[in-house]
Parts: sequence; C-alpha cells; structure tokens
Amino acid sequence: MPLHIKRLVFTFVGLLVFFIILQQILKPHSFGVQGHFREDAIKENTQRALQYAGKANCTKCHDSIHAEKKEGYHSTLNCEVCHGPGLKHAQYAQMFEGKELPDSLTLIKPNERKDCAICHQRNAARIKILFDTIDNTMIHQIDAMEHNLISKKTKKERRCIDCHNPHQP
Amino acid sequence: MKKEKKQFSRRDFFKTGAILVGGVAASAFLSSVNGVLIAGEPSKKRGKWYGIGIDINKCIGCGKCAAACKNENNIIKEPFYFRSWVEQYTIKNDGTVKVESPNGGIDGFTQSIPDEEIFKSFFVPKMCNHCSKSPCTQVCPVGATFETSEGVVLIDPNYCIGCGYCIQACPYGCRYKNPETGTADKCTLCFHRLDKGLQPACFEICPTQARIYGDLNDPQSNINYFLKNHNCMVIKPNLNTGSKLFYNALTPEVR
Repeated sequence: MPLHIKRLVFTFVGLLVFFIILQQILKPHSFGVQGHFREDAIKENTQRALQYAGKANCTKCHDSIHAEKKEGYHSTLNCEVCHGPGLKHAQYAQMFEGKELPDSLTLIKPNERKDCAICHQRNAARIKILFDTIDNTMIHQIDAMEHNLISKKTKKERRCIDCHNPHQP
Repeated sequence: MKKEKKQFSRRDFFKTGAILVGGVAASAFLSSVNGVLIAGEPSKKRGKWYGIGIDINKCIGCGKCAAACKNENNIIKEPFYFRSWVEQYTIKNDGTVKVESPNGGIDGFTQSIPDEEIFKSFFVPKMCNHCSKSPCTQVCPVGATFETSEGVVLIDPNYCIGCGYCIQACPYGCRYKNPETGTADKCTLCFHRLDKGLQPACFEICPTQARIYGDLNDPQSNINYFLKNHNCMVIKPNLNTGSKLFYNALTPEVR
C-alpha cells in the first residue's frame, strides 16, 4: 500500500475512534434505551409536585359538607372546583391534627357574584346543556349582575350566597 | 417472418426471483429504520395506552380546567401560556364563525354577540392531543420530546435546546415556550398524577364530567365506553397525526 493511502487510513481510523469516544462522553446517561430520548426524563416527569388533593381527601375531614352537597344540584362538583387546589391544606391538616391552619394554607371561599357567574352567567352556548345530576336538569342560567341584585327589605346589594347555599343551591 | 416468441428462460426466472426477494428483504430492513412508520404504531398492544375523550355537549365553558392546569403545573398566570384552554365558537346566522377565548376562558365568557344573530354557539376545551404519530416529536433535533410507552407525549426540559421547532410543528397549537426556562412546554396529561393513580388536574376539576380519559387497550375502560356511545371525531383528521383526543359533537368549524 502506498504511503499516502496508509496515512489517510490512519487519519480516518483515528477520527473514527475520537468520534466514538466523544460520543460516549457527551451522550447523556440512559439515552436511547427506549428510543431517541433520555429514559430518565420519564422519571423526572413523574417527580413534580402535586397541587390538587382530590375529593376523597377533602371528605376525610369535611364529611358533613360532603353529605350536604351530595343531595343537591352541585353533587357532581369536586370541592376543589370552587375552593382551589388543596393538597398542602390537606397534608397540613393530616400532619398536625387539630392545629390551626396558617393563613397561607386556608383555601379560598369564592362568595362574590362574579364567582357564581363563571358557570351560571347566561350565555348562548350554555343554554341547552344537560348535565347528569339528581334530575337531569339544564344548568341554571341567570343574568348574574342583575338577578335579584337589590334586597327589597334592606335596599342593599346582595350576594348570591345570601339566598343560595352553594353546597345545596 | 420470424415469429418472436417470448420466452421465460431459467436465467430470467432466477433474475426476477432474486430481485423480488432482495426487494422484500430491503423494504423489511428499511421499515425498521423509517421513523414515521415506527411512530404510527403503538409501541405495544398490551399495557396502558392513554386516550382522551371530551364531550362538547357537556362543556359549560367555566374555564376551571384551564385554571386548574395552571395551578397544578405552575404555569405563569399570564395569557398566551396555556396547556389547556377553552374556546367559544359562535356560528352566526350569516354563516360566519367567531372564535373567542379571553384569557383561555379562565375568567369566564361573556356573550359578545346578541342572541338574534346567533345560529349556534358552543364551547370547545382544547389541550394536547397526545398524537401517536406526533409531528412535534418527529421534528425535535435533539430527542428532547418523545412518546412514552403509555402514549403520552412528554418533554425533557433538561435536554431541550429551545429551538421552538416543535411549537411550529404542532398543528393544534398546544405547545409554547416557557419564558422562565426558555424551553418548550406542553401538557403532560399530568404524568406526575397518573403515576400516583390520580386523575389529571383538568379531569379532576371538570364540574360536568365533560372530560374522560382512559386506557384505549382496555375494552372495559371509560374511554372505550365513551367512544362506543358517541359519534366521536378528532380535530384535523386529514393531517394523519394519530390524535388520541376524541371529541363528541365536533363540527367542521373547529380547527
């Protein structure tokens, strides 16, 4: 074999070895085990923090409200629909039983007119929606900003929850 | 005149035979290399293979799913960054379609068109379709997004270079660039909740149970019951994305 070809072969073999070593160093651990991605990324995706506790966790303490709610129209709603994410609240309550909750962990109590209007404001897209509740009625639609706004007795503005119990509307 | 007789000699027979066998062998070899063909098939027929069902007839457009998604996944509370959102489609009497989604529906919808002009109006909750032939994973240059064996499309934020290619590739607009990390981000079907046997946040929170998810491989699952009982359709079926988000009562106006 002529010398210049030999040199070329050596150079190519050298580059190939260099490339393989470099690839082994740079390739992340567990890449390509299941496909063209890091297998560890699946595990990392499962390790994020949770926020929502689920209805079962709420009923552990608030069983009376659960019993009240399941008779009414709002029986299909989970607690966290209105009260917001409550896993930290539930965990704290479980860890320190009977202790007062710090303010940061108290859940929201939506009691303004606009909070009810999110679902019950009259809208053309909402009118004909049936839902599986105690008697398969349509969702109740009102003009939330006008519906019985001023009390006849006190002449003051009223909130929805002054007349309707949100757990049993 | 000499009659030309078409003869099929032994030599021809071997030639054609060799070509045929070689062709079949080569195509069999190539099919295992072809990424598009692999992606089209579920990686396994047994085990979990998640699908999602959304009943448009049941959605009341409260936007609680969009809000729950933001809470659960710590997404910036700003419009434009949504993994799950709700759109209101209004078809007017003159045939024009208006689509609106103020802040993804989180603050509720207010009717912007008077009743007399409306022919039909409905809400469409949107989220990642978790396609089985997902265009977004095919374009990733570094392998930072992938489909798990459960059929969930995930992102590896530690490996993403933030080129934004996948954001353009998604035909459903379900990806966004996280302004904090600079990487692509999307719905993970709350993979961290599924792993612990909990429902994804938007399914947990839906007040009318308009959303259903389940194992498509299990004939007894919720999702298969939903698919059998409703006239279901995916968005943009012509794109052959293998979408696994099935809508009941989907109309062609929805894009």
